[in-house]
Amino acid sequence: MKEYEVIIIGGGPAGMAAALKVNNEGCKALIIEREERLGGILKQCIHDGFGVLKFNERLTGPEYALKYKNIIKNKDIDILLKTFVIEIKKDKDFHIKIINENGIHILKTKTVIFSTGCRERTSKQIFIQGERPAGIYNAGTAQYMTNIMGFMPGKNCIILGSGDIGLIMARRLTLEGAKVLGVYEIKDTPSGLTRNIRQCLYDYDIPLYLSHSITKIFGKERIEAVEISKVNKNYELIENSKKIIKCDTLILSVGLIPENELLEDLGITIDKKTNGAFVDNDFMSVEIPGIFICGNALHVNDLVDYVSESGEIAGKKACEYIKNKKTNNKNTKVDINENFLYIVPQYINENSNDEIIFYFRSKKRFENAKLKIFLDDKIVEKNYNKLIPAEMEKLTIKNIKNKKISMILE
Amino acid sequence: MKLTCIVCPNSCELNIEKEKNEYIITGNKCKRGYYFALNELKDPRRTICTTIKTIFKDKPRLSVKTNSEVPKNKIFEIMQNINKFILKEKIEPGSIVLKNVCNTGVDIITTDEIE
Amino acid sequence: MNIQKLKNKIKKDISYDIDISIQNNALKLEGVVENWEQVIKAGKIAAMSDFDGVINNLKFINQEKENFINTDLKDNKLNNKKYDVIIIGAGIIGCSIARELSKWNIKILVIDKENDIAVHTSSRNDGMIHPGLSPKPGTKKAYYNVLGNKLYEKKSKELNFEFKRTGSLIVFDKWHLKFISPFIKLRAKKNGVYLKYVDKKQINMIEPNIDKNLIGGFLIPSTGIISPYKTTIAYAENAVENGVDISFETFLKDVYKENNEVVYIETNRGRIFTKCLINCAGVHSDEVAEIVGDRFYTIHPRKGEIIILDKKTGNFINSVVSKTDFNLKNNSKGGGIIKTVEENLLLGPNAYEQPYKEDYSTTSKGINEIMNKHSSVLKQINKKDIITYFSGTRASTYKEDFIIKQSSKISNFIHVSGIQSPGIASAPSISEDVEKITINILKSKTNINQNIKYNPNRKGYPILYLLEDKEKNRIINKNPDFGKIVCRCEMISYGEIKSVIHSNIPAITLDAIKRRTRVGMGRCQGGFCTPLLLKIIHEETGIEYEKILKKGLGSNLIFKETKKFGDDFIERI
Repeated sequence: MKEYEVIIIGGGPAGMAAALKVNNEGCKALIIEREERLGGILKQCIHDGFGVLKFNERLTGPEYALKYKNIIKNKDIDILLKTFVIEIKKDKDFHIKIINENGIHILKTKTVIFSTGCRERTSKQIFIQGERPAGIYNAGTAQYMTNIMGFMPGKNCIILGSGDIGLIMARRLTLEGAKVLGVYEIKDTPSGLTRNIRQCLYDYDIPLYLSHSITKIFGKERIEAVEISKVNKNYELIENSKKIIKCDTLILSVGLIPENELLEDLGITIDKKTNGAFVDNDFMSVEIPGIFICGNALHVNDLVDYVSESGEIAGKKACEYIKNKKTNNKNTKVDINENFLYIVPQYINENSNDEIIFYFRSKKRFENAKLKIFLDDKIVEKNYNKLIPAEMEKLTIKNIKNKKISMILE
Repeated sequence: MKLTCIVCPNSCELNIEKEKNEYIITGNKCKRGYYFALNELKDPRRTICTTIKTIFKDKPRLSVKTNSEVPKNKIFEIMQNINKFILKEKIEPGSIVLKNVCNTGVDIITTDEIE
Repeated sequence: MNIQKLKNKIKKDISYDIDISIQNNALKLEGVVENWEQVIKAGKIAAMSDFDGVINNLKFINQEKENFINTDLKDNKLNNKKYDVIIIGAGIIGCSIARELSKWNIKILVIDKENDIAVHTSSRNDGMIHPGLSPKPGTKKAYYNVLGNKLYEKKSKELNFEFKRTGSLIVFDKWHLKFISPFIKLRAKKNGVYLKYVDKKQINMIEPNIDKNLIGGFLIPSTGIISPYKTTIAYAENAVENGVDISFETFLKDVYKENNEVVYIETNRGRIFTKCLINCAGVHSDEVAEIVGDRFYTIHPRKGEIIILDKKTGNFINSVVSKTDFNLKNNSKGGGIIKTVEENLLLGPNAYEQPYKEDYSTTSKGINEIMNKHSSVLKQINKKDIITYFSGTRASTYKEDFIIKQSSKISNFIHVSGIQSPGIASAPSISEDVEKITINILKSKTNINQNIKYNPNRKGYPILYLLEDKEKNRIINKNPDFGKIVCRCEMISYGEIKSVIHSNIPAITLDAIKRRTRVGMGRCQGGFCTPLLLKIIHEETGIEYEKILKKGLGSNLIFKETKKFGDDFIERI
């Protein structure tokens, strides 16, 4: 049985950043990746805009991935490609059962970093009714077909949901010659980044319909049409607003769900707000020490730059954990008010010497919002011109060792 | 006039007013927003990211981009040129596959590797 | 009921415009009524007669014509071929009959209008092997169900499909228990089903997670579960191993008879001669009977919607639980909670009448009702756990019983019709009986012997998730493709997919591969593996990408290669 100090599950941007950090800190890392190449979802995200914060460059997804891949290649980091983790067991160490072309093996490790990313919400998870024909794809699936395989999923497309991948695909399919009839969003605000609404939809005259939902699918074999209805603020259908629109393809961009089934098998509780685990500022699970979670497996990020950043923190802290032989962090919960959609990390540990990075989203749109941070008796205030759920905010706080922390957004 | 800056993830909402012969631009957090707004008014430009066809079975498409921005109204003409191209040899990421595409002075470069 | 009284009742209750006549010892209704409810109501009243059945040809205003034939294929592949037996329909009934008949040294052909096994009702049900409690005593349903249920161990062993005799619980709240309990006991006794009363405490021990307010119920140990499509495919593959021919995209257009005997059938793939014709056409069996010339029944499709929950919920129950609003007269409402062979939870099916036989659309009303009913029994589940839902139609006749018999009019024609729930549970016994009927017919015409090469045991292909690690390693060492995972949610390997593509009934559509391997049936619902499957299908079969189908003809998954601006695309310059 092979033994590692850190095993990283998932070789996307979070996993690669974590592996490099672990290597930098002098620990031995293994990346387990299920696909044939490292890079995760970046491989199919051929549009630019990645790395603006981290590298001060507008890179495409493949370019961003290559930056890491090329460094990893020359380091002493083990990589297992085309390998799946079947299950994880824990005693003193973690035992990771894997399957690949060489069979089933068990690997032993002191710590595990989960950088398993996320998956797309499906048509059934948003309760679309009607027939079940061909031609209904998640935006990411359509993206893989178009960009990696070189096939158009369809010709006359409707996009449901204004998530970023959907917006990006609206532009991408248009560039390749398809007609995007419209993007329909159930909420009264777009889910994707404002700049994507502008450069992916408005640039190509693609209409965006807010407060609209698809209520029925038609087509026995291939999708032929959809029924669209207007909805009110509570997402209830507005009578007599039904409209049938012909199309041959429906692309869904209705949200991402962190993939944490392996963690759940280990008994870890999932935060209903983030769909990820509860972690402290080391990105370590507050329930099982030695397990670190980063990237989109922890919460869905807008920008890959933040994904890499969280990977680096997890990698660094995993090494500290091994070196210091810490068993458990003593944690205090970060109290937030109801105006937060979520905050990550949800806990702060007593050994927090350095600055702490928080990621948060507001629950609704705020103009001129004020964030009040209470550290014991001290209050720090921060102002935001605009806060919207679609755009994640990063917050750095120093010197909060052994302090009780709560935040109010108003 | 209102615009959303697309330069960085901040997505600043820009406000543009014309006073005499000068544009007054507000709402931008940085200088890039200022220039974006000016360009958007005079000569809107975009980067194109797309793919090219290859002869390689395991990599039937390779991702490419324009190495700088091109006029917005030329996007589809450029796409048509890119689509005619077929890559027949393995090249490094960042290699030029089409030079001075549609006389824009801009090159099409690859953004991924072929293993 | 007296025939005149019935006629009057139909006219008075529904419409005086309905023409009522007697044909082929059945009551025949014709005319146009207002809506489908009236069609059904008239049919139900007509079924109270002592005639063999009801030919309900009533239409309603604005009824659309349903087009069942999906293929435009026309060739002579089967022209002038001669068979001893032709079976129409490759669902569980047709395939199980074919397999039982393959014990004999006869030439058998199964035809189906679709492009795979088990496309319709056989893959659109809950997979429950009912104990035989629900059918009315004395019916064919009761007889075949109880008998069929008992045969499942044997069939599953021979045919190598998963079968679990899980047992089931029928649970009651106070009010129901008092009223229904004596009826249930009586019916169980009459049908020959063993059951045991369980009190609150015992229920709690068997199913600790279900609602604590349920006060009692019955444990029926003989209930089982299977995967309905995998079982149908297993039957079909073993039939083919034993020499049966199957022809897809093949449909009946006409029959030629001499002296009240079928001589040949006309299909879109040529004229095929046969000594015996078996009607296993499911929801379309009345139309087949009409073409053959012995129709005395009508199928009115009764839809059932089904919900599948994430595997995470699988450990909430151990078997099959249904809270009964189950009303002995009517059809089940909302079905049960079933732990499937793959250990997902399945909820449903509900039941409602609808005019179109292949309308498999789902409704939010149905899905919400099923969810609400079952989440009241099992509080741990909620809408967030849903990974998919679908529907199927039951092939119900107005007499609501199976029709399994040699035609009294056309001597070499066999009806196996009206096989609705509990059809899957009854399939093993129905098929053994139809085997006997068929052999009797054939023996009267010719000399037939046993098939000495008959092998009852189907080899199948490895299903990795059922195997121990040691066995998995052995298979992967022999063929590394079995270590390459394609479907990340269900852990289905490249090797498994390759083996079903190259099996004796090749699976070449996405859904065909899905039915055999479970690929794409997990929580991502094919989001990640669909493109990979396209590539595998293309590489293994040579089918062009643009022609790969999800299900039937016209269900193409992709449109065209990128980089091909052309007439099909929008010209933007």
